[in-house]
Amino acid sequence: MTVQDPCCPEYRGTSRRGFLRGSMVVGGAAALTVAHGTAFTQTSYAADGVADQVLVVLSMRGACDGMSLVVPHADPVYYAARPSIAVPSDQLLVKDGMFGLHPALAPLLHLWNAGKMAAVHATGLPSPNRSHFSAMEAVEDADPGSEARVGWLNRLVGRDGVGSPLEAIQIGGGVPTAAMSGPQPVLVTQGIDTVRLSGPGGPAEVAARRRSLQTAWGSSTGDLGTGLRSALDVVDQFAPVHAMSSTPANNAVYAKDDLAKALRASARTIRANVGAEIITVDHGSWDHHTGIGTTESGLVKRRTDELAAAIAAFFADLGPLADKVTLVTISEFGRRVAENANQGLDHGYGNVMFVMGAGVKGGSYYGKWPGLTNTTDADLLVTTDYRSVLSEVIVSRFGASPAQVFPGMAPARVGVMSGS
Amino acid sequence: MDAAEAVTRAHRRRCKHFHRCKRHPNHTCRHLHRCRHRHHQAPTPTKAPPAPPVEPPVDPPVAPPVDPTAEPGSASLLTAASLHLANRFTYGFTPGLHEQMTAAGSPESWFEAQLNPAAIADAKASAFQSWWPSIDLDAAAIWQRDQSKAERSWEAMQNYARWCLLRRIYSQRQVLEVMTEFWENHLHVPLDDSGVFTYRADYGKLLRRHALGRFDEMLVAAITHPAMGISLDNARSTRKSPNENLGRELLELHTVGRGNHTEDDVKNSARILTGYRVDMWTATWNAYYNPTSHRTGAVNVLGFSHANADPDGRAVTEAYLTYLAHHPKTAERIARKLAVRFVSDTPSEALVAHLAQVFLANNTEIKPVLRALVASGEFKAAAGAKVRTPTDDVVATHRALGTELAKVVNDDSAANVILWQTASIGQTPFAWGRPDGQPDDNRSWSSASRLLASFEVHYSMAGRWWRKEDVTYRTPEAWMPAPSLRFDELVNHLSTQLLGKRVPARLLRACMEATGLAADTTITSSHAVIRWQFAILLTTLLDSPDHMHR
Repeated sequence: MTVQDPCCPEYRGTSRRGFLRGSMVVGGAAALTVAHGTAFTQTSYAADGVADQVLVVLSMRGACDGMSLVVPHADPVYYAARPSIAVPSDQLLVKDGMFGLHPALAPLLHLWNAGKMAAVHATGLPSPNRSHFSAMEAVEDADPGSEARVGWLNRLVGRDGVGSPLEAIQIGGGVPTAAMSGPQPVLVTQGIDTVRLSGPGGPAEVAARRRSLQTAWGSSTGDLGTGLRSALDVVDQFAPVHAMSSTPANNAVYAKDDLAKALRASARTIRANVGAEIITVDHGSWDHHTGIGTTESGLVKRRTDELAAAIAAFFADLGPLADKVTLVTISEFGRRVAENANQGLDHGYGNVMFVMGAGVKGGSYYGKWPGLTNTTDADLLVTTDYRSVLSEVIVSRFGASPAQVFPGMAPARVGVMSGS
Repeated sequence: MDAAEAVTRAHRRRCKHFHRCKRHPNHTCRHLHRCRHRHHQAPTPTKAPPAPPVEPPVDPPVAPPVDPTAEPGSASLLTAASLHLANRFTYGFTPGLHEQMTAAGSPESWFEAQLNPAAIADAKASAFQSWWPSIDLDAAAIWQRDQSKAERSWEAMQNYARWCLLRRIYSQRQVLEVMTEFWENHLHVPLDDSGVFTYRADYGKLLRRHALGRFDEMLVAAITHPAMGISLDNARSTRKSPNENLGRELLELHTVGRGNHTEDDVKNSARILTGYRVDMWTATWNAYYNPTSHRTGAVNVLGFSHANADPDGRAVTEAYLTYLAHHPKTAERIARKLAVRFVSDTPSEALVAHLAQVFLANNTEIKPVLRALVASGEFKAAAGAKVRTPTDDVVATHRALGTELAKVVNDDSAANVILWQTASIGQTPFAWGRPDGQPDDNRSWSSASRLLASFEVHYSMAGRWWRKEDVTYRTPEAWMPAPSLRFDELVNHLSTQLLGKRVPARLLRACMEATGLAADTTITSSHAVIRWQFAILLTTLLDSPDHMHR
C-alpha cells in the first residue's frame, strides 16, 4: 500500500493537536508526550517516565503451602502432622536453627547466598478467611471496612496524584485484580504483543487510523472515552517495549510456562524503561487439597520448580537492572498444619512471603514462629500482618506512606528491607 | 530530475530548507530535502486526496449525488427510541430486528411479544443444542464423557459458554436471552468451580425457564439445584456441621445483600439449607434430598421463624427462600441490579424504589418490573450510557456483520473460536471466578487494553481473517447497496446496517480519514476501498463509541 506518508515530526505533532486527554487524571511526563508527536513520544517519555525502582508483585493464586516452601524443620509437630508429605530435614537448603528451603528452590540459592532473597514466615491477614475469593479481595484491597474497592497497588501508584497507565502493569487476566482496581489508570494486558493498535502497520496508515479514532471518539466522555485516550497513549508509550529485543539478556533462559512468559515480558518492559513502577503477575494454582507429593514428584514440586526457574531467569535477564527491582510474593492464605486423607492440605491461615532483589536484607528468615499444634483444624497462626512486610517494601523502595497505602494500619517492624 | 533529488546525501541529513507541502496546506517545515511531503502534488479541485493507487477511472455516479443525511430508505430506520430499546434488550441491532419491530406494529408491541418467548419460533437457535452433545446430557453421562476423555470437563464448560454465545447472536427470543444472562450472573455459578460441570448446563436451562417468570420460584429452583449446591458447598453440608458458604451467599449476594444480616442469620440460613446432597465424584452424581443430613431445630432469619422439626426440610427451605424473595431488601437489590444493567451505572433512588415496589406488588413477577423499567423516563433518557462488555461486544459484532456460523467441525471452527474471541478481550461467559458474578459497571470494561483487544477482534472479523473456518462472512461487494455510489452514501448505508442509524458526521469524517477518501469519491466494486480497504472501513464503524456502547 502506498498511500502517501504525511509523516515528519512536525506534521505528526500538528495532526495530534486535537487529541487531549479530557478528564483523565494525568500529568508530568505523560502529559508532555501530548505536545509532541509520536516520534518524540518514545524518547521524551523514556527520558521523563523513567522508573527509578520497580516493584514486582507475584501472587501465588490458590493459597500455597508456605510450610512446604520454607520448612519449620525444628518444630516437631511439622513432621508429626505430615507423615507422608513433610519435606525431609536432610534435604533442606540453607538451614538455620528453625527453617530451611524446599530443595526445588535451588535455582534461587545464589540470590539467597548473595543476600538478595529473604523469607518472612507466619504472615497473613489479621484474622482467618478461608474463602479464596474473599481472602484475595481482603488481601489486595488491604483496606478493611472500606467499600471503596480500591486496591493497595492502585493507592500506591496514585500516591503522587498523577499517573500514566504504564506506571502499573498487570500481565495476565482480563479485568484488573483487586490490588490494581481503582481510580488510577493501570494497564492490564495478556502480554506485550497485544498492546498494539489493530490495522495496517505502515506509518501512514497508523497515523490515519489514530486520527480516525480520535475523530470518531472526539466528543465521547465517560469511562470508555477515557479508556480510548488512554489506549492511544499506551500504544505510544509502549513503543519502546516493542522496540526492545524479545530475546532475554545475559543468556537468560526461560521455560514456556505462563509464569516464565509473564516474567519474561516483565523483564522486557523493565529494560525498555517506560516508567513502569509496578508490575503484577500471577502464578497458580497452588490449591493443593490432594496430591502434594514429595520432593521427588507431586504438585508442590512441580509448582516450585516453575516458580524458582522463572524467578531465577528473570533476575539473570535483568542483570545490573536488578539493582532497582524488588520482587515480593504473596498468597491469599496458607494451609493447615496436618495433612488430610488425600495427601493434601485444606485451607488454613498463616503463610510465607518471599522478598527478593533490590533493598532486601537477604540470606535470612524473618518473622516470629508461633509454634504448631497437631489437630485436624490447626492453622499456622499469623504473627506478622502481611501489610507490615509490604509497608517496609514501599517505604524502602518508594518512600511511600504506609498510612496512605494501608489505611488504618500500624505496621510492625519486620526488618527485612534496608533502612527498616 | 527533481531539484530535491539532486542534493547530496549529507545535505539531506542536515537540510534546514523551508518548504510548504503542496497537498497539505497545514504542513510547513524546515526539512525540505528530507521531508516526505516534498513529493506531494498540489491537489486538483476535483480529485480526492490522497488518491489510492488502484483507484479505477472515476465514473460519473449513476444517480445524481444524494444528500448523505437523507437516507433514501429512511423508512427502514429505527427511531432513536426504538434503537435504544433494541440496544438494551437485544444483543445488538440488525436489519432483521427492525423488520420484526415493524411487523409487530410498534417497538412497544415488539417488546410485549418478546415477553412471551414461547410464542416466538426459534428453530435456528434450538438447533445449536445438537452441536455440543453435553448441553442436553445428564450428569452421569457428562461424567462418563469426561472419564473416557470424549469431552473433558473443561471442554464441556467451554462448549456450554459457546452455546450461550450462539444463542445470544441468533435467537429470535432476544429479551429471553438477555434476561437469562442477567439471572445467570445474579445467581452466578462459575463454570470452572470444581465438579460443577456435571450440572451447569442443566442449571442454565433452569434459569432460562424462569427468566421471565417469578423470582421467588426461580430462587427456590436455583438454590436447591445441584450446581449451586456443588459450587457453594451445600452438597457436602452436614447435619453436624452445616457449611456456611451457600447460606451466607444466599443472603449476601442472591437476596437481601451485604450489611442486612448478622452472623447468626448466616448460621440459621446454613442449617435450613442442609439436606440437599450430591454424590460427587461417583459414577451417578446422584442428586437427592437426605433427611438425615438435615439439621432440625427452630430457626430465625431476618424475621423468618420456623420450628423446623421435620427431618425432611424441603418445605421449610421453600418457605424460607420464598420469604427472602419477597423481602423488601431483596426487592431493592434486584431493582437496583436491573436498573444498572438496563438503565445506567447510577440509577436514581426513585427509580430503584419504584421498580422494587412493582416487584413486591406483583408477587416477584419479573415481567411487570421490566415493563415499568422500559416505561420510565430515566430509561428513555439513557441511550448509549452503558458499555458493552467483551461478550456483548463480540456477540453484537457477529450480529452487525451478519456472520453465518456453521456447525462445528473441529477446534478451528469459527463457532468454537468465538470463545477465544471473547477471551482475548478479557471475559468469557460465566467464567467469573467469584460467586458475586461479573461486574456490570462501565469502568470495569473500559481499560486501555480492553479497547485495544476489542479493536483487534473487530479488525480480524471485518477483514474476514479470524476465523475463516466454518463461517460465512458477507463480502465487501455484498455490503454495497448499488453498483456505483459516492463514498458518503456507502458509509451511510453501512452505518444503517451496522449501527441502525444514519451515519453521524463525526463517523463519516472518521471513515474518510481512515481510508483517505473524500465524501464524493465514486465507489464501484473495483475501487480500492472495496478491494483492499474494506476491513479498515468496517472496523472504523465497529471501533466507534456508537458500537461499543449500548
